[in-house]
Amino acid sequence: MKLDVGNIYLLIAAGLLIASLIKDPAKTKRALAVTGNVALTVLPVLLLIFVLMGVIEAFVPRQTIVSLLGSGRGVFSIIIGELLGSFALFQPAAVFPFAGFLRKSGAGYGAALGFVMSAMLIGLSTLPLEIQTFGGRFTLTRNLLSFLLILALGVIFMVVL
Amino acid sequence: MNEKNKGPGTMAKTVRTAIIYVLVSLAIWGAAALLSQSGGKVVTHAVYDTFAKVIKIAVAVFVVIGLIQVWLTPQQVSRVLGKQAGWKGLLLASSVPMLVGGSLFMIFPLMKTLREKGARIAAVLAFVSAWSGKAPLLPLEIEFLGWRFAVLRIVLVVPFAIACGVLGELILEGVVRGRRGPGMAEK
Repeated sequence: MKLDVGNIYLLIAAGLLIASLIKDPAKTKRALAVTGNVALTVLPVLLLIFVLMGVIEAFVPRQTIVSLLGSGRGVFSIIIGELLGSFALFQPAAVFPFAGFLRKSGAGYGAALGFVMSAMLIGLSTLPLEIQTFGGRFTLTRNLLSFLLILALGVIFMVVL
Repeated sequence: MNEKNKGPGTMAKTVRTAIIYVLVSLAIWGAAALLSQSGGKVVTHAVYDTFAKVIKIAVAVFVVIGLIQVWLTPQQVSRVLGKQAGWKGLLLASSVPMLVGGSLFMIFPLMKTLREKGARIAAVLAFVSAWSGKAPLLPLEIEFLGWRFAVLRIVLVVPFAIACGVLGELILEGVVRGRRGPGMAEK
């Protein structure tokens, strides 16, 4: 029988929660409010992502994913993964289940890494805010540099894993 | 806490967004089921299996995120990082932010504060890159991508953030030399 890691994580979280409660009940109450808020924000997004995963599984042939994101395609697959991540308007918490789904559907480790990192760091949805906050030159530099460095990371992942 | 200051309007907005997400999800689900019966079944299985897999981990992660938010606020982190200079500052900026939660929408204003407090541009760039380490989400990452992937990524995020900071600063300061406030928005 496989050990249920979920229970272990729950135990750890409960332990931390009790420690926090003993140290500062008011702060802990605020923490739980944050938890509720995060859950309410993230769970519906997870539902949508899971539905999309199902739709892709049902209607996109595995061969298509392998030919785009499979490790056999080398650097090309990392770039496709990065482009996918850049366009994805994801909650960070939804990034890993989707990346795992891509892996299961035939994507390589490099492509999965490319997707994860660019979904976190290169957001088309955040471009306007970044330009407004730091200016166009900063935004262009950061996003392009991130894209290139993630590509390098992807190559390392492809070689090591 | 930010959530408190913004008042009940934010909560209503969160609920509204949540409802929209659920409705859109159900609509796509329904469309898939109408399109092909087996397709609908595949979607149902995918949703059920993944939720079953993720729910305990997600609850644990949400609790820890809440605790981190109040015990280690992003503001505290940026205050510490704003004061540190040199390589030590860069190393801190390339590692500590992976503990910070939130989305990019929350991180950018924080980076601006960091910059205004005198942090060099390399530290600001390193901060956002290191934030992508997302240590609180590690249980999810291990579950879906395996611990080898998760460990390698967390380990490599630090040099990645340093490289992003140093190279970005070189590019930006080189390009905008002689202008006021390198890399900042022209005001």
